[in-house]
Amino acid sequence: MNKYTIAFVSVTTAMKAQIVLRANEFYATVARTPRNLASGCGYSVTVAGDVERALAVLEQHGIKYKAVMENK
Amino acid sequence: MINFDNSATSFPKPAAVKKAVFEAMNRYGGNPGRSGHRISIETAEAVYSARAAAADFFGAEPDNVVFTQNCTHALNTAIKGTAEKGCHIIISSLEHNSVLRPVHALYRKGLCSYSVAEVSYDDKVTAENFRRLITPQTKIIACTLGSNVTGQILPYDRIAELCRKNGICFIADGAQACGVIPVRLSDGINILCTAGHKSLYGPSGTGLLITDGKYKINPIMEGGTGSASLEKEQPDFLPDSLESGTINTAGVIGLGAGIGFVKKLGMDKIYDHENRLCRIFLRETEDSGEILLYRDERINYLPIVSFNVVGLTANETAARLSDMGFALRGGLHCSGLAHTALGTVPDGTVRFSPSVFNTEKEVYALAAAVRKLAVQK
Repeated sequence: MNKYTIAFVSVTTAMKAQIVLRANEFYATVARTPRNLASGCGYSVTVAGDVERALAVLEQHGIKYKAVMENK
Repeated sequence: MINFDNSATSFPKPAAVKKAVFEAMNRYGGNPGRSGHRISIETAEAVYSARAAAADFFGAEPDNVVFTQNCTHALNTAIKGTAEKGCHIIISSLEHNSVLRPVHALYRKGLCSYSVAEVSYDDKVTAENFRRLITPQTKIIACTLGSNVTGQILPYDRIAELCRKNGICFIADGAQACGVIPVRLSDGINILCTAGHKSLYGPSGTGLLITDGKYKINPIMEGGTGSASLEKEQPDFLPDSLESGTINTAGVIGLGAGIGFVKKLGMDKIYDHENRLCRIFLRETEDSGEILLYRDERINYLPIVSFNVVGLTANETAARLSDMGFALRGGLHCSGLAHTALGTVPDGTVRFSPSVFNTEKEVYALAAAVRKLAVQK
């Protein structure tokens, strides 16, 4: 199963995203945003599975993300 | 010692709060929002839980909940962060210095003007007193939801409506009201400031600023936020824009447990209990011609009673009661405005402020002690 990293502006937004994604049966964990995804400090959520559905879930809950990438 | 000084800070704290703080000191020792290791992430999760609990309790989004040191810190941030040069601010005649002083400081710097609306026993008159002071320059109404001296509840629904109609930012000081009466942003409050350590039963050193996001709040303090670190500018998103530096992690986690305690018990039960204790105190002391009770039957009150013993200053009475085993605060309660309105300057009053942990038996004992003082002097 492919894993993706979704970057957020703050740890608060990342925490909010983690809760929403877990409630929608995603395996999601908060981690520091890797440098190749966004510069400066920040937090991301790593999700496994259908990233399009994950992004749709975030949008439904009004949670904005900065960037997304597939983990290699 | 029996504590009736819960309006200053509640004591004792619920077992759940003590447990949460203990757990925080033992388990959540990371810096939330600063690192990527497990200790930091788990601490951030615990802090987010407290943020979400506060958001749910007051009807806000978690991002719009800002942890502060106390209510004064929240009010300074709200007032100074929303005031624009040349603006006019209205406050009430019952304000604590945490509202008066930041507003007065802005005035002294030539940044704004302000007016004081007299609070009446009649809510309609109070609202009209606010309305009459509104000018085209009025940008902020900052007022308490309930007086910390007498407990008088202000007609904040009417004040909120005035703000909504006139495009004015309503900053509410909920230090005494939050946790006792149901306060929600949907009441028309734009920025709610409150203490975490009073009727929300959190540890001291905690406060909340909760906004509906309608009015931009410029930070009064900049620094590390754990976000956008390459930028010289402070982040413009909440809560980071207003939360520079490491927060009081153990305090915040304890505050989350305090909010959970209040929610589980129910504010209606808490209010009923504390109000019953006030009624007992009033009933047991009202017939003495030597005890002055600052109550008016036409007014709705939070569970607070201000009183004086004839022939003694408030501080003398409080000191004598302390010797008899009762903790009450005498003096001006950091609210010269309210005591001026009450006619109790310069000595102030003695304030009886029970918590959910006080019992009827304790109140009967206090009332007997006050009656004894009134006779003996």
